Amino acid sequence: MEVLMFALSIGTLYSIYLILATSMELEYGELGLPNFAKAAFFAVGAFAVGALAVRLGALLAGIAWEGEFKLRSYYYATLVSSSIARNPLIGLVIFIVPTVVALVTAVALGVLASYPALRLPGDYLAISLIAFSELVRIVTRNYEPLVGGTFGAGVPDFLAWLGSPWRELAKLCMSSSVAVCVWAGYYRLSTSPFGRTLRAIRDDEVAAKAFGKDVTRLRAWTMAIGSGMAALAGVLYAFYMGSVSPDDFTVSKTFLVVLMVVLGGRGNPLGPPVGAAVYLLVDRAITLTKHLIPMPFDVNYASYIVLGMTLVIIIMKRPGGIVPEKPPITVKIAPPLDSLREAAPPAKSRNVGNQLAYSHKPSE
Amino acid sequence: MIDVFVGALVYSNLLALLAVGLSMALLTCRVSNFAHGDFATVGVYAAHTASVLLGISPYACIPIAFIAGGSVSLIAFLLVFEPLRGKAELVTLMVVSMAVDMVIRYTLHVYADLAQRSLGVYTRQFMFRDFHFQVAGYTLPGVLIASVCTVLALLITLYFLLYRTSLGVAMRAAIENPSLAEALGVNVKKVFAVSWFLSGALAATAGVFLPFRIQVTPDTGWSLLLSMFASVTVGGLGSLGGSIVGAYVIGFSETLFSYVLSSIGLSTAYRPAVSFAAIIATLLLSPRGLTGFLSNGKRWFKWRS
Repeated sequence: MEVLMFALSIGTLYSIYLILATSMELEYGELGLPNFAKAAFFAVGAFAVGALAVRLGALLAGIAWEGEFKLRSYYYATLVSSSIARNPLIGLVIFIVPTVVALVTAVALGVLASYPALRLPGDYLAISLIAFSELVRIVTRNYEPLVGGTFGAGVPDFLAWLGSPWRELAKLCMSSSVAVCVWAGYYRLSTSPFGRTLRAIRDDEVAAKAFGKDVTRLRAWTMAIGSGMAALAGVLYAFYMGSVSPDDFTVSKTFLVVLMVVLGGRGNPLGPPVGAAVYLLVDRAITLTKHLIPMPFDVNYASYIVLGMTLVIIIMKRPGGIVPEKPPITVKIAPPLDSLREAAPPAKSRNVGNQLAYSHKPSE
Repeated sequence: MIDVFVGALVYSNLLALLAVGLSMALLTCRVSNFAHGDFATVGVYAAHTASVLLGISPYACIPIAFIAGGSVSLIAFLLVFEPLRGKAELVTLMVVSMAVDMVIRYTLHVYADLAQRSLGVYTRQFMFRDFHFQVAGYTLPGVLIASVCTVLALLITLYFLLYRTSLGVAMRAAIENPSLAEALGVNVKKVFAVSWFLSGALAATAGVFLPFRIQVTPDTGWSLLLSMFASVTVGGLGSLGGSIVGAYVIGFSETLFSYVLSSIGLSTAYRPAVSFAAIIATLLLSPRGLTGFLSNGKRWFKWRS
């Protein structure tokens, strides 16, 4: 039973990280735009749930609200959960409304954040985005009516009408299907003309402009899509955790997502799933084994040191990541004999000669 | 009011030392070094350990912190940034520096835990005891005079090193054009190693003054990073003189802003808003920063990458 719960929990967390890594892959891996405000967009989803779910649930269940939000939100979250157990429809509403609000807010913020991107070189864009992300965290941490500041906000269980293992299973199924949909959508984008244009902009912006690509619009689109993905992950994360705390969305979260993308392989669609899996494996392995070996310090620190070193070594020794980017297959693969003829130099040169002779013929 | 001014001046002095070092990293390896704040924390812990072990004032431990911070910075340069110099993209270098930051910061956390056990002193949330002196009826903290003297001495030495010695000429040449300097016989790696040592050492020196004003933890240096980047950006990217001016602009406006915040009853936690606003405004309005306005033929200001 415990093993099953652990597996369900890991699966849900993996799905959430996969969505985050995929959104970072789309922006940083494909377009080369370092969206280091990822934690803030992730937080937008979680905060939408934290701020709306309890209030909306209390309103729908007809529970009168008394006292300050920061002190009472956990209490009311339990009350709302028990009324959801009687009336599943409330659960549906408190899931859908925050999701819609989160998506709209994140997409709007993403488009807004893509405008400074036109003016700033890569690293300064990243610094301003990090600053923005920290500011979002600091404001929500100190403005208590939103999500309770340092107290955090309770989140009612929208699947409270299901029994214990089934509830977690349903959450896993939902998160993983969202993750698979997001990844499949990203794969479709990556192999489409849109994805190829993004990589063209990443590799040479001026050339892409010269070919008539609207870089501004593509950046805004990519940021909008990526931010929407991150907000979706935030919604799932809030319901998975059962509470929301602003201090969960520090720059370190963004860094972990970057780590997953770089570890997996920038620009390869398989990068995010591989990177997220490796990160989660290392992280959980350290968490599980830390009780076995007694250390005179907190082992969580050691896990961060190991992750940091891994990233440095990966970038220095294997810059492509575990699954490096391959040139995309955009045309039908030629039959094997064809490639042999291409590879043999004499045949190739003769071929070129023939072509030249042929092309000269009409003019003669 | 005098307290606010003293606080602003001390804070700006520290920020100036930190921003100059950050600029040097930016000039030599084109890296926006996210590990720079940790060099200051290395200085804090080096001074703390030395003052506990030797039983001397933390001010006397500045040379030890200077060497410790410089060595950590030098190791980071030799192991990571030198092999990647000129090969990796700007953003990749930044990601690497974030990883280096993570390694150093959490190593310091581990060190703080170990030191607390073996030395039996607090290694988190501690402060250094300062002396006070009286001037014209005001009681001023000793850190004010100490930080002003240290900053002036170090910055003047740095100026003479860069502009009056052959090492300084080589350093500036290597920054201007590494391959040309190499062709003319400058050992670019060695020259850059010296500037990285100095960058870390200046940061660590600034770090020694931190516990006189605030309670420090292994994350303190990291939390100053945004203000450092704001100073460098406001001053003009890659200009040493500019970053010093930027440091005083940011230091004073941040302190005044939090004074205003607390006097109108808001949390001073909104303080980073100043740095954020300064970065965004500078980059959008005048990307070359204050140097863009002020460069009227002065060499100290004009020197850019």
